[in-house]
Amino acid sequence: MNFRPTIVAFLCNWCAYTGADLAGTSRMRYAPNIRIIRVMCSGRIDPTFILTAFQQGADGVLVCGCHPGDCHYQTGNYKCLRRFKLIEKYIAQMGIEPERLKLEWISASEGKQFAELVNEMTKAILNAGPSKVKSTLEVKHLKS
Amino acid sequence: MEEPRIGVYICWCGTNIAKMVDVEAVASEVGNLPNVVLAKTYKYMCSDPGQDLIIKDIRGHHLNRVIVAACSPRIHELTFRNAVEKAGINPYLFEMANIREQDSWVHTDRSEATKKAIDLVIAAIHRVRFHEPLQKRSVNVDPATLVIGGGISGMVAALEIANAGKKVYLVEKTDHLGGHVARFDLTFPHLSSAKQMIRPIIQRVENHPNIEVFKQSVIRNVNGYIGNFDALVVNGHPEPIELKFGNIIAATGLKPFDPSKIAEYGYGKFPDVITSMEFEEMLSAGKVLTKYGKEPRNIAIIHCVGSRSKVYHEYCSRTCCMVALKFINQIRAGLPDCNIYEIYADMRAYGKGCEEFYAETTHRQIIFLMFDQQEKLPVIKQAERSDNCNMLIEMDEKLSGESIEVPVDMVVLMVNMEAHEDVKEVVHAIGVSLCGNQFFIEKHPKLDPVATTTGGVYIVGTCQGPKDIPDSVAQARAAAARILATIAQGSVAVEVTTAFVNEAFCCGCQTCIKVCPYTAISFNEVKKVSEVNEVLCKGCGTCGSACPSGAITSKHFTDHQILSEIEGIMSMSYKEI
Repeated sequence: MNFRPTIVAFLCNWCAYTGADLAGTSRMRYAPNIRIIRVMCSGRIDPTFILTAFQQGADGVLVCGCHPGDCHYQTGNYKCLRRFKLIEKYIAQMGIEPERLKLEWISASEGKQFAELVNEMTKAILNAGPSKVKSTLEVKHLKS
Repeated sequence: MEEPRIGVYICWCGTNIAKMVDVEAVASEVGNLPNVVLAKTYKYMCSDPGQDLIIKDIRGHHLNRVIVAACSPRIHELTFRNAVEKAGINPYLFEMANIREQDSWVHTDRSEATKKAIDLVIAAIHRVRFHEPLQKRSVNVDPATLVIGGGISGMVAALEIANAGKKVYLVEKTDHLGGHVARFDLTFPHLSSAKQMIRPIIQRVENHPNIEVFKQSVIRNVNGYIGNFDALVVNGHPEPIELKFGNIIAATGLKPFDPSKIAEYGYGKFPDVITSMEFEEMLSAGKVLTKYGKEPRNIAIIHCVGSRSKVYHEYCSRTCCMVALKFINQIRAGLPDCNIYEIYADMRAYGKGCEEFYAETTHRQIIFLMFDQQEKLPVIKQAERSDNCNMLIEMDEKLSGESIEVPVDMVVLMVNMEAHEDVKEVVHAIGVSLCGNQFFIEKHPKLDPVATTTGGVYIVGTCQGPKDIPDSVAQARAAAARILATIAQGSVAVEVTTAFVNEAFCCGCQTCIKVCPYTAISFNEVKKVSEVNEVLCKGCGTCGSACPSGAITSKHFTDHQILSEIEGIMSMSYKEI
């Protein structure tokens, strides 16, 4: 059957989520594989959230926050960036390909950039194929 | 915890959602999930009958959790929270699924959009089970107000508040009040004097017992939250002045576009190519003369300098067309024999009395020449001695389709209104966002145009976007009214989604204290655990993701809630196999 990837996205409320809303208000079109979870600040994105998404079978995880210097909570996005660098290394060790995890800065006015980002990432995930984590989960699920 | 009894409501939003998402399929898909008591669809959930439906069901079916799948929570979360509260359940036992802005409006495949809506609603169902009732908190409001910027918007807002008997601190960067309006000669469309208008306002502000003016001053270190801000005023003196205030109005104004960026116009190269602001000053001084001290025989006014351009700014500055017409009237009054060339891309006369002003001005013996802003800009070049003029403007006249040369002695460039470059400093000081054009973003473009997403911070005048004097004044008075309303109430509701510590899990490592941007967490040396000051905490949750033992997390964004939301999103993906 056709591969329908699922991308779980964590967006901060003030910039990225508003930017994604703007993409909607401006009726931009993008691939339907993304599922957005709202957090107040990208600094809230616990590495556990990203790992849980992969563990639950996500083919990709996208993290978006305010541009450097524009964080609504002053420095949450920098903290997100530092954690992200570590989790990138960690998922590589787990055998998850680097293109499955992405961090981008999206401002409240960047609806267009958000739509382009989702399309690019969906394309990359389609090329990469289903997540290996998911295939092991599927075996488990069929057995149970 | 009592067993969750969840009511799910899927909004059609007329055809906005229903056209792309099969709302009935969503309802039937989620209706039988555990804890879901009912799943209904309705045309407009946000309408009164829509809200009444929820209220009736909460009472009739004893629901204790509610989900509305509709537009963005940024639009109607508060509406529905109020509705569920009316029915007697805590407003935080509600969750929204965004199936309009982030689904029906951005996708073209109905079956994919429907699947996405199902996933999002299931995620909300998973999440809402872990929602906890939160109690609203309110804080007292300091009756003083800080106004940043002493232009017409800032002054009018300050007067409005001061006249109501409340204290205002007005901080102005330059050494004088009045802003750009003080540099204008006349105003459009009535050609009344700007100075006669602004001078009494300046006097009233400077002499008002409730207004304290700080000139040549900037504001630094703004701390606090709605009702209780403090900041430093820095004005070159060794000791900065500390202020306390409850609300902030940003009226930081505009910056005229620098036309030397446009090579075609030769600004800076030709002394008689001047900006509209420089021409204003010339008119104020009462003499229109070229740099050689002669009266110009030919004046050209070029519109849209830096505006409506793919290269510079895409937006329209809204006022320059009318200012150009005002210039025509003033030039004609002073120099009856001067040839006036109006070189325009479009004529925009949108305000009250402006179309009439335009119609009247066309009788002033003007030569209107149109250019195509996107195709080719007019080019200003030095004239030969035999041309009998100072400069020549080469242009493709759009209406006649001819390439022409216009002889001129003086060129006025109608420059665009830009956001201030030091606006970034203000942004950091008061925590508001900028739009793509570097103007401040309002809370809601239509329904809340003077508030921002930061409680207690308002934006008025041209720092919010290009506008004329009446619009700026209207915003200033609107913001003042909003602030006076909160002062009159004496207290305001504040964020309840703050961080909290589960003391049993806290190992006392103090990692949370290091990451908190608001110094809201302190260490209790007796109990050896971290403690959150709920007044200082703004609920960003960065402490929650740093805590190694999962002891600290933010209310309404707990690990449980978000992890179960992830599980909910992924729960349907197995159905594919």
